Amino acid sequence: MARNLLFWVGIVLLVGACLFPILWMLNLSLKPNELAQAVPPAFFFEPTFEHYPTAWRSANLGPLLLNSVIVAVGSTILVLLVSVPAAYSFARYETSRGHLLFMILSTRMMPAAAIVVPYYLIFRQFGLLNTHMGVILAHAFFNFSFCTFVLYGFFKEIDPNIEYSAMIDGYSRPQIFRKIIFPLLKPPIAVVTSFSLMFSWNEFLFAFVLTRTDASRTVTAGIEQFWTMTGIQWGPMSAAALIAIAPMLVFSIYLQKYIVRGLTFGAVKR
Amino acid sequence: MDKLQLQGITKHYGRTLAVDDVSFACTRGEFFSILGASGAGKSTLLKSVAGIVQPDRGRVLIDGHDVTKRPIQDRNVAMAFENYSLYPQMKVYENIAFPLRAPTRPRRLSPTEERAKVTHVATILGIEPYLDRLPGQLSGGQRQRVSLARAMVREPNVFLLDEPLAHLDAKLKFQTRTRLKQLAVEIGATTLYVTHDFREALSLSDRILILRQGRIEQIGTPKEIYHAPATDFVAALVGDPPMNLIDGRVARAGDRLRFEVEDAPVPIVIDLPENAAIDRIGGEGTVRLGCRPGDLRIAPDDRGAIRLPIYAIEHSAEASLLSFSLGHDRIIQAQVPGRIDARAGEPVPIGFAADRLFLFRKSFELGEV
Repeated sequence: MARNLLFWVGIVLLVGACLFPILWMLNLSLKPNELAQAVPPAFFFEPTFEHYPTAWRSANLGPLLLNSVIVAVGSTILVLLVSVPAAYSFARYETSRGHLLFMILSTRMMPAAAIVVPYYLIFRQFGLLNTHMGVILAHAFFNFSFCTFVLYGFFKEIDPNIEYSAMIDGYSRPQIFRKIIFPLLKPPIAVVTSFSLMFSWNEFLFAFVLTRTDASRTVTAGIEQFWTMTGIQWGPMSAAALIAIAPMLVFSIYLQKYIVRGLTFGAVKR
Repeated sequence: MDKLQLQGITKHYGRTLAVDDVSFACTRGEFFSILGASGAGKSTLLKSVAGIVQPDRGRVLIDGHDVTKRPIQDRNVAMAFENYSLYPQMKVYENIAFPLRAPTRPRRLSPTEERAKVTHVATILGIEPYLDRLPGQLSGGQRQRVSLARAMVREPNVFLLDEPLAHLDAKLKFQTRTRLKQLAVEIGATTLYVTHDFREALSLSDRILILRQGRIEQIGTPKEIYHAPATDFVAALVGDPPMNLIDGRVARAGDRLRFEVEDAPVPIVIDLPENAAIDRIGGEGTVRLGCRPGDLRIAPDDRGAIRLPIYAIEHSAEASLLSFSLGHDRIIQAQVPGRIDARAGEPVPIGFAADRLFLFRKSFELGEV
């Protein structure tokens, strides 16, 4: 009983710690401007919804959200197109005996801030600044390694004899991939899809540096504009931030069951 | 014409030689077993026929056509894997029906025909009640039978069965063995069967190939393998309790041939039959004598009987197994029907039946197999 109590206290503290920033943001977004910086913080106030329409209009959130969708979906499709066959080849044919796999992983070994300036220069050279494609490529680059590595682990879990078995049963490799392998890969593909989408949606630095205009800026980078010369507009910024995280929140709740299944895939010997 | 031919198959894995110049042929409808210890190269041979393994040298012929370079799906062979290799997301029915739906099949079956075929093979193998389950919901033995059913549902050129009974318990193994044979005869299938269990090989096969470290040790009918083992290795592999193998010397004493064991606790001298084929094993000198435990007699009135003290005694339902020590970690065993009332340490006269003795050239150190 006491153990149980301790467990629940622990859970509540942990969940509270995780949710606090979001709840605080919600609180800020509903607070009148004059109370935003009050010390001690005001917990009880007349809520106001004026920040939401202000944020939507002044930050041009509609187009920014659309940009985010284009970039996140675009980079995720690109990642899947490359990572699934790449991981398959690493797992089945031991392509390059692991050297290439390691090299791919090594792209994640430096801090993003270290390479953002060369990226800027290169992308400028290729005319990719202020374009969707520029941000898509940058995000895809970061996700390739992670997704390939995760998928590699899942492919390794699938017994190659299953494929041989299907060949003996009279199927060709593309048919086997479609009928046998792909259905088995649904959970891991759900995992990498959601990770890739979330990364791209949340990524700030590259989206910020590679875009100067609202034509291709993502919503995450767009929130920066509430940081004005005359001060930070806490209320509208919080409102915009909440609008920005809402789609990902809904999306991850929807994908939750696949993700949990994917994360525990292969953890138990079947 | 031979249904299946293997000619000089050789395969290395890295530097390890897995299969060394193996050739044999199976006639149509033959049940052919490959028997050997694990790592002998049995599965490699099977996979060469399937096309999963590409041999370094040698050819595989089906119906006289060279298929060595042909892709797996064009060989029309069926295979049951030792680790089942079922499709985890498909129900048992779909698993078994999967080969029937392949695009390489010459004719598409109607749903009724398909169901009849699947149900028939599933009923014979006793998995008919599980057709609507997923492989994950089945026990190891049930999965193995599904894998077998998936292989036997169609009419391929050759059946390749890789230890298909290994994961069944004793009773089910016996039952499935019988049904497997029934199914094989019914289809008239040419079957290549890999096993490490000599009982399966003896009871199922028309002929058996004994593989030792990638080389053929002997090919023969079950009778030949059991009653005329070509080498001491075959003798040691086939039989339970295993054949007694005793190292000693053959010497001529007057007009008789005699086998003598050196530094045994009591003098061991066994008379060999006149026609003992000692030329085959290199003439007189050091040889290995073989004798099945069941062929030793407890014979008090035998003139040539050797009195040895009992080292250990085990009783089973129908027989007693007596062990005797010949010194230097050498043990021989005698299996006698019924229950022998004797105690360890008690000397017992043992008679060797001259016509049931085998002479071999020594090819391995005892205790290694």
